[in-house]
Amino acid sequence: MNEKMQTFESEWLREHYYRVVHTSGLPVYVFPKEMTATYALFAVNFGEVDNAANAEGEQSFPAGIAHFLEHKLFSNEDGSDSFERFSAYGADANAYTSHTKTVYMFTATDHFGESFGELIDFVSHPYFTEASVKKEQGIIAEEIRMCRDNPYDRCYYNMLEGLYYCHPIKTEICGSIRSVSKITAGMLYDCYSTHYHPENMAVVVCGNVTVDEVMHIVNERLPKTGPWQKPPRATVNEPSTIHRERMIDHGQVGKPIFSIGVKDVHIPLDGDARLRRDAAMAILSEMLFSESGELYHSLLDRGLISPEFSADYALTRDFGFLQISGEADDPEAVLREILDFLEKQRQNGLSEADFERTRRVEYAESIKGFDSTEEIANNLLSFVFEEAELFTYVELLKNMEFDYVQALFAEFFDPQRFTLSVVRPMRDNER
Amino acid sequence: MQPIIREIGGAKLFCIPTDKFKSEYFSLRFALELNEANNHLTTMLLPVLSRGTVTHPNLLSINRYLDELYSTTVSTPNKRMGDMRCIGVSADFLGSRYVDGGSILPQVIDTVAEIVYRPRLDNGCFCPEYVEIEKNTLCDSIRASVNNPRGYASHRCRQMLCEGEPFALSLIDKEAVVRAITPEKLYEHYRFLLENATPIFCYVGSTSADEVAAMITNAFPTFHGRNAPYRAEIKRVMGAPKRAEEAMPFCQGNLAIGLRTDISAVDSEAPALLVLNELFGGSPASKLFLNVREKRSLCYSCSSQAHLFKGLMFVRAGMKPENRSIAEEAILTELDAVKRGEISDIELEAAKRSLDHMCRQVQDNPAAISAFYLGRDMIGKNESPEDFRRSLSVVTASDVVEVAARLDVGATFFLNGTLEGEEDEE
Repeated sequence: MNEKMQTFESEWLREHYYRVVHTSGLPVYVFPKEMTATYALFAVNFGEVDNAANAEGEQSFPAGIAHFLEHKLFSNEDGSDSFERFSAYGADANAYTSHTKTVYMFTATDHFGESFGELIDFVSHPYFTEASVKKEQGIIAEEIRMCRDNPYDRCYYNMLEGLYYCHPIKTEICGSIRSVSKITAGMLYDCYSTHYHPENMAVVVCGNVTVDEVMHIVNERLPKTGPWQKPPRATVNEPSTIHRERMIDHGQVGKPIFSIGVKDVHIPLDGDARLRRDAAMAILSEMLFSESGELYHSLLDRGLISPEFSADYALTRDFGFLQISGEADDPEAVLREILDFLEKQRQNGLSEADFERTRRVEYAESIKGFDSTEEIANNLLSFVFEEAELFTYVELLKNMEFDYVQALFAEFFDPQRFTLSVVRPMRDNER
Repeated sequence: MQPIIREIGGAKLFCIPTDKFKSEYFSLRFALELNEANNHLTTMLLPVLSRGTVTHPNLLSINRYLDELYSTTVSTPNKRMGDMRCIGVSADFLGSRYVDGGSILPQVIDTVAEIVYRPRLDNGCFCPEYVEIEKNTLCDSIRASVNNPRGYASHRCRQMLCEGEPFALSLIDKEAVVRAITPEKLYEHYRFLLENATPIFCYVGSTSADEVAAMITNAFPTFHGRNAPYRAEIKRVMGAPKRAEEAMPFCQGNLAIGLRTDISAVDSEAPALLVLNELFGGSPASKLFLNVREKRSLCYSCSSQAHLFKGLMFVRAGMKPENRSIAEEAILTELDAVKRGEISDIELEAAKRSLDHMCRQVQDNPAAISAFYLGRDMIGKNESPEDFRRSLSVVTASDVVEVAARLDVGATFFLNGTLEGEEDEE
């Protein structure tokens, strides 16, 4: 059974994990960890971005279907809800849908086997009726309203709208009240059979478990499936320029909030090269925008920003962007300051001392990430569908070269690829 | 993971020896009585202290030093516990196996001591520039309370439920009071704190308690004060429940229901109150989740939370504004069901197992371990998570019903959303 087992080891982290490919094609990752709670997830390489039907970015199913499917899988044919089944074992279950994947998970401090069996079972047995779909539309409509009332979500999606012309990354993960009202039980079954196949999924377990224990349950509970053809994924003709320079909105905020997006148009096709770029951007964005950086203090000391200010980079096989967000009375001025600062860095060159300090920070943070079974499992998963590997990423951070980061800096921050999204307080006449 | 407790010149150290984690945790905490005169000053104090010290006179210098200490993260928690406010400094840092030259615990303890006891002063008082910056930040965060409609509704509900009590104190609507803070007033409050309160330390990591105690003795001055004892007004609802409503431009309506009981964390019925909360609205297997959300599709988010230190429970739910009455009725119907004893064995077991799981999970997180022991210490209970688990395991359905009978709705606040919904535009 374990003939295809691979072991991954990091000597300096004193950690290791295993990868076993089940006969169904399902890759199973087991990360042994002496903790009280074991965390397990069952994920599908299917998120809102996978819903593109053609090069123009039109969608195969109504927007929000991946997230809708995630909600509906918790309902079982016998009328029970999987949350109840997990709670009978004291396990804490949940699920989320992102732009690129759908993940079902639980943590358990007892009865791991029973909960893990339940996880495999409910994700593998879809059951939808028109009546239950209708009921779920009501719940999801409330979730959509809740997101609409969140100014940070709006600012984020508007930033994506500013960066992208037609890429499905800009579609809201929950969809809209209108789009989810079009979803039917038939569509959910179609969507499920298209994407939910063991070859397009992964299991990750982190905690006090063995490979044999995990594989025994997978063998017992995973139903047999027929051959599967990976659906051809439409390559969206997304231009390399940005869609809009400014996205201005109004909402219920005390002070304007902003999100500056920078579009990445040099996404490596090769998984290893992408991983290296990702690690280098983690260091570079920390160097430039962290609370230990000159820019942050210059903006903060002059009252141009509030203390909460962050930069995050997202990179996958077909999109990449940097997001710099915060709160400011005058977000335009913040953008000008950032562009000036980057220009000065370009002229004077990046500081090697800053690079070394930041590399040390990233190194320490990556080690701290190995204290939580939840964080380990989710980090590991984030590399699985990108065909990359967790320890390799940590090694890349540790051994990153200054020259590579300098070259990335020179290429990445093209002022033409910046967009600014702002949510301003509503004026009285708009309330 | 049993704590070793040491007395250090009047201060107390909880030391939880473990080499389970790659990172370690060190914290100090002061407990103060919350009152109208000091609430704004206490809130401002640690942000100002952590802006600059004698050795590191500005934030940039502090942050860079923390980066050098392998990205040590320093935070300044500020929590309500009953009618008290707990403030302090905590640090999360890498254990000795992963750093060059041995443990960085001495440097971490020095940094924490420096932030609290050796702040940067100008002419014997806090630096006016730092006080001004932190006033602006606090005013911004007061204004930003409207960014989060659910939090805002809960806040208003708490104010109504505990009107006139320290627990209800808040800085929303108090911008002018914050603006009036001077470096001198804040410094006077700081001196009061140092003279009247003594920190409680907590360390989770692999260094021995004796060594940690010696490091604290070296780094900190002699302590004189004593932390104020735990205090909370615990009472059942007097008079008719209060109701209020506000309107704001949101898509959703947000309902917050506040309930009071005469049971608090110090009472033997506290475990039953936790079980009640869990089966009523504390988990995805609760009555609120399964019935109000899943069966009736009225809400996406509908849950309850118990505040044991003050004998309170809050229900929060977001819904289409026109469904407010139906949702409120559905929530109260579920509460009545608990009061009538409609609790199945499955529900009771699920709630107890869920709480047991949470207690066991405490052992997997250094900050959670510290919070557990400091919380128990505050109410004078010398209990381990295992002791606490045992007290939960013996709760019966009749215990829950008995506790439910002592729980009354005291305040209901509704934040009405006035924005037209997407479906209304069709």
